Amino acid sequence: MLRKLIFILTTISLAFAGCTKLEEKFDGQLTSSQISTTGSAGNVNALLTGIYASMRGTFQGQAGVYALWEMTTDELIGPTRGGDWDDNGAWRVLHSHRFDGDHIRIREVWNDLNGISYSATDMLRFNPSAAQGAEARFLRAFAQFMILDGWGQVPYREPGESSITAPKVRKGTEALTYIISELTAIIPSLPDAPVTKATKDAARVLLMKCYLNKGAFANRSAPTFDAADMQQVITIADQIIASNRFLFSPNYFDNFAPSNGTIGKENIWTQENLGGVGGGGGDIRSRWHSSVHYNSQPSGWNGFTTLSDFYNKFEATDKRRGVAYPTNSTTFTNPGNRINVGFLVGQQYDMTNDAPLKDRTGAPLAFTPQISIIEKGTNLEVTGIRAYKYMIDFPNANQGQWDNDYVHFRLGDVLLMKAEAQLRSGAAAAGLVIVNSLRTNRGATPLASLTTDNMIDERGREMYLESWRKQDLIRFGKFLLPWQEKAASDPKYLFFPIPNGQLAANPNLTQNPGF
Amino acid sequence: MLKMNFFRRAILALATLLLFIPGFSQNRTVSGTVSDQAGRGIPGVTVTVKGTRTSTQTNSDGAYTISAPETGTLVFSSVGFSAMEMAVSAGNFSPTLAASFDNLSEVVVTGYGTTRRKDLTGAIATVNEKNFNKGVYTSPDQLIQGKVAGVQITNNSGQPGGATTFKIRGNSAITGSGNPLFVVDGVALDGRSVRPGVGDVGFGGGNPGANPLNFLNPSDIASMEVLKDASATAIYGSRAAYGVVLITTKRGKSGEPKIDFNASVGFSKVAKRIDVLDAAQFRSALTYYGLSNANDKGSSVDAFDEITRRGIVQNYNVGVSGGADNARYRLSMGVLNQEGIVRKTGLKKYTANLSGQFKFLNSKKLGLDINIIPSQFQEDLAPISNDAGSRGSLIGNALQWNPTENLIIKRAGKPDSLNVVRGGDLINPLALQTAIDDKTKVTTILGSISPYYKFNDWLEYRFLYSINYGSGTRRTTVQPFMNFNDVIDRGRARIGYAELTTQQSTHTLNFNKKLSSSISLTALAGFEYQKYSNRGYDVNGFGRISIPGGFGNYGLDFTNYIQYSDPTTRGVGSFVDPSYELQSYFGKAIVNISDKYVFQATIRADGSSKFGANNKYGYFPSLSAAWTVNKESFFSVDQISLLKLRASWGRTGNQEFPSGSAIARYSFTGSGGIQQTNAENENLKWQTDQQYNIGMDLGLFNRLNITLDYFNKKTTDLLFPSEPAQPAAPGAPIRWVNLDGNIINKGLEATINATIVNQKDFTFDFGVNATFQSNSVSGLSSAINTGGLHGQGISGSTVQVIRNGLPINAFYTREFLGIDKTSGLASYSAGGDLLYYVGNPNPKTLLGLNTTVRYKALTLNAAMNGAFGYQIYNNTYNNVINVGSINNGKNIGVSVFQDPIKESFANPVTASSRFLESGNFLKLTNATLSYNVGNIGTYFKGINVFVTGQNLFVITKFTGFDPEVNVDKNVNGVPSVAIEYIPYPSARTITFGVNFSL
Repeated sequence: MLRKLIFILTTISLAFAGCTKLEEKFDGQLTSSQISTTGSAGNVNALLTGIYASMRGTFQGQAGVYALWEMTTDELIGPTRGGDWDDNGAWRVLHSHRFDGDHIRIREVWNDLNGISYSATDMLRFNPSAAQGAEARFLRAFAQFMILDGWGQVPYREPGESSITAPKVRKGTEALTYIISELTAIIPSLPDAPVTKATKDAARVLLMKCYLNKGAFANRSAPTFDAADMQQVITIADQIIASNRFLFSPNYFDNFAPSNGTIGKENIWTQENLGGVGGGGGDIRSRWHSSVHYNSQPSGWNGFTTLSDFYNKFEATDKRRGVAYPTNSTTFTNPGNRINVGFLVGQQYDMTNDAPLKDRTGAPLAFTPQISIIEKGTNLEVTGIRAYKYMIDFPNANQGQWDNDYVHFRLGDVLLMKAEAQLRSGAAAAGLVIVNSLRTNRGATPLASLTTDNMIDERGREMYLESWRKQDLIRFGKFLLPWQEKAASDPKYLFFPIPNGQLAANPNLTQNPGF
Repeated sequence: MLKMNFFRRAILALATLLLFIPGFSQNRTVSGTVSDQAGRGIPGVTVTVKGTRTSTQTNSDGAYTISAPETGTLVFSSVGFSAMEMAVSAGNFSPTLAASFDNLSEVVVTGYGTTRRKDLTGAIATVNEKNFNKGVYTSPDQLIQGKVAGVQITNNSGQPGGATTFKIRGNSAITGSGNPLFVVDGVALDGRSVRPGVGDVGFGGGNPGANPLNFLNPSDIASMEVLKDASATAIYGSRAAYGVVLITTKRGKSGEPKIDFNASVGFSKVAKRIDVLDAAQFRSALTYYGLSNANDKGSSVDAFDEITRRGIVQNYNVGVSGGADNARYRLSMGVLNQEGIVRKTGLKKYTANLSGQFKFLNSKKLGLDINIIPSQFQEDLAPISNDAGSRGSLIGNALQWNPTENLIIKRAGKPDSLNVVRGGDLINPLALQTAIDDKTKVTTILGSISPYYKFNDWLEYRFLYSINYGSGTRRTTVQPFMNFNDVIDRGRARIGYAELTTQQSTHTLNFNKKLSSSISLTALAGFEYQKYSNRGYDVNGFGRISIPGGFGNYGLDFTNYIQYSDPTTRGVGSFVDPSYELQSYFGKAIVNISDKYVFQATIRADGSSKFGANNKYGYFPSLSAAWTVNKESFFSVDQISLLKLRASWGRTGNQEFPSGSAIARYSFTGSGGIQQTNAENENLKWQTDQQYNIGMDLGLFNRLNITLDYFNKKTTDLLFPSEPAQPAAPGAPIRWVNLDGNIINKGLEATINATIVNQKDFTFDFGVNATFQSNSVSGLSSAINTGGLHGQGISGSTVQVIRNGLPINAFYTREFLGIDKTSGLASYSAGGDLLYYVGNPNPKTLLGLNTTVRYKALTLNAAMNGAFGYQIYNNTYNNVINVGSINNGKNIGVSVFQDPIKESFANPVTASSRFLESGNFLKLTNATLSYNVGNIGTYFKGINVFVTGQNLFVITKFTGFDPEVNVDKNVNGVPSVAIEYIPYPSARTITFGVNFSL
């Protein structure tokens, strides 16, 4: 009996030896302590790569920052076309300023921009070098600037802060002051190159935008422009211009072409895309895809268009309105030399043999200038002028891995910001010189004088579809005006609503007035 | 010659070993036949020599042979009959057993053991083999569809081997599957299928899942018990909140070796089609809608016909069983080959099951049970996805195909070619079907070994170790002729692999003793450890544009030489889930006083590595009692053979969230970065269910059994993948939290089984089960949206909400008022700016009907099941065959065209109550007519030939393929309910078969 008992007890205790402390082990992922204990510059670089990667989707895709900063303006509309593009009304309410705190795109962009802010903050707790830290802080400043611009409130965390506590929030001028102080502090630690990464000049352009918009961020309904701020804009612009690193490209669309990494001489800060190489999340082809027709080459989604009033702001000679850009394909050679980037209007042609294309009903594929927010006619497939700036990368078109780098900041923007600052500080004549030199380069006739009205139009012509239009219209006091397919809008739309789920999750946020 | 001899001897030795020939006995051999009161032989009666371990069972005719001492007594017992004893000396070995309707002697499989039915205090439903649904089924859960009150089993689609939704007592899952815990012979399953997902090869990434029970052969199942109330489930603790289903496989019975064989062959075809325009209607529709006739391509084609077929189903099973008292075994093998009704689809399944029960030592106190279930299934899958966008998927493309346009182009003197238009968005369904090969292979082995030792009559220690290993591969190729932008001229190949392992070791100590003449105590104490792991990888690539056909036109499967793909298009990925361990202590005690009063208490402490650091252990108790009123001396109603009242309370949990959710995790990304991918929560814990149950079992006139149960189940600490407060890690991570909020499911279950006629030549049994249930949500701080629609023009639309005051997954969308006669556009309440509660996807009533009618050797079995009082959202009508398609040269639904109000083809495809339909249905799930041929010659015994029809008819107004549908339209892991979206169509199957024994 005793032996039996011993045997049984041994068996049981052996079996119970499997007792566990129930600790989770990650065999394919890392905990934060694993990152810090195996700490090296390599880890921090990988985290930095992760931050850059997290920016790609929201800036390059058609439903991210682009949708929020462009479709809410006179440059872009997402019409509903019969059985297509209803999408729960998401596109319609953006253009007509009827969005609310449940809007899916507003929620997603809020999350995406804050994700950049979070990962840049989190990286700082893993002992980065001064240069690495400055890079992360720049990316955070940029994300926070966009959040401030969109929502007027910027939630933030300190490095290593528990994610259970509700994030603190900076609002309006307080948030901008913080961003300016960050940018000023990090510029000395940032490198000069390359343009695909955070650099001194990228930080300077952002600083210009901070000063230029300071009055608008303080009071969106009636912005004022402080002379000292305008002088800051001019001084920083001169630093950038004087470096001579950024020059006009021979062709305006070189800056957006598949090889813009080498020929885009105006670009100051970009997101790098490598042709044929999956970049993780970036989808710059969606700019083209979201616009052109199913029967275009390559096939598109037949969605977004511009509005004829905006199209009509361009002179016919203005190259920015569209050109026949050399294709990088031996098949799609554009033998008819048809306009293939910029704005597409009228009959569209086969890029291989110049045959006129047809739509799905069998009618000619000819884009018309008129567009309604809900299309109702038999021609609903072909209405609206199609617009895109990024020339198709034909060899990589179908894999979704275009070579075109996404452009955040470029010289044209810097020049126009400087001219605007001069205009706003009583030096319109000096501003006119800059504007006209730009216009001449673009094939447009010189302006006789510089006013806020033609200044905002010029910004539209130069910067269209680069996701600055909303900010520009607010700064020029024109965002609430009626335009095609939009009535005059309520001042509450100067801000995006805080996503309702976020209001519930963070009591430190308050809903923007009116929502 | 020598060799031959050796060979023979080896076979003999092997056979001896296999058959466990019992020791020589000097007893007298007696044989006889056990009959029921109608004079029919009763199969499966256990015949035991009283006071010994010698026993056997009757064959299909009720005959048995046993060796017994002259002075001994034979005990005859069988479920459903009163036990009987006969002395061997009496010389009569063919007793007649009286039917018993209280079944109190029956033993019911319960958590970690068995319980005498008279000791039951909770709501447990048992379905034995003879009551299973008849026909060809791919997984065992389908065997009890419509059989158990309170249980709703929905085949999510018609896909062979596809997943089912198994809901016990309503719906409280705001995340996860909501499926119960499945336990096979004491081994708890992971619940996930190891079949790899398809990833996105161009037609949507969300493939309908495979049934995680596919690895079991339904013909190996002896019984299934559905544990419904907390007194039954609480012993499974933090995994039992959605109920527990115990699956018991067949065991060998002592006696001569016996071979059971069954074979069936059948045909299946599409049960119901979705009506779209034919060529003539399409032409008149072009005119009707004022469109040019450019899209009249002149032919007449039925695309749906072209992609579907009559499928052949073959199913063969053989089982060998036998052994002696101390060594019993059963070995079975099964083959199922089911061709799908969609061409190029099907399921092949190979299963085996080897089980043995052995007893050792002179005392026979040491025992060993082993059970091994190896299996493999292979699927050919169609490009059908739950979340197909504008490219559609096979079914959508077939419905949309212009019926005047040829699928195949015939040219004189040239071979036929598929009509594929380069560029554009028109997808030829036949081309898609031809272009895509999507094959899976899932191999699993479940092995368990369970030694036990009986210290004495009342104390037994048992150990069980099991390992459940599965690996799945999936190979998908797309031919380069497919006119997807990315695929054309290149082709595409993808290989996915996944591996799922569960280990379990369980120690239990069983105590079973009569403490006095009237009080008996049954108790159980146990410890259990489980470890789950899940890992996999995926490689994929497109062909090279520089090589004709991308992968070269060699006619080989691209996945066999994926290294030939274009390196810049290759994708690779691998993953391993964070470790997941469960450590548990549990106990149970049942006190039975005079068979009148039974009290039961159970408790389980579950520790899980998934739980946050602040909540490592959860405790799950239950208390219950039963009173068998008819045993009281004051009770003397002869017509009532059983009156038992039951009440229970208990708490269970659910921990269906991914491991690694409590801690911040940094993942390696494809771009060489490291990113945090979740938002941690160190307070994360299980979801809690608290359930009351009040029940009654009533036996009347020895012909009628009635069971009534009222349940009230309150779910709190709702597990929810919440959106964390920003800033949070990028990529829309989620934070798993326990939300404040309650979901209450309550209802009444009634089961009535009646033996209406019971005569020698004619019997008529009828059973009905019904469930009346309701569901409500309260206490949430904000509403949760789910039910995300897909298709062209519907991105970002959700139609279901989990919101206070409404049933879970309430349909919440625009209220459709009608189509305006002049504009042809839809109008909505409040201009479509407001959303309303417009429907409930949860049935208010579930119904199951079963009947068996036998006349002489001819037996008819039929089972119906139905659900009532709910709506289904028809995403197919909303976004696939809506009126707008005709303007794009695509087909539309007949009902759209024939609507008296002419709808404009420009009417936006807005989600609204317009697409809600009543889901009410009553379905003849299966009907079997069988003829009992009896024995032929000496060898063929119990021959039974049958014909079975499955899904023979359905009474419903629903316009989709099948009202029994649940396409997964989850949003961020919050499941949807009752949404249809171009699913695999349901089949009607007729099979012919035969069973016999050797």
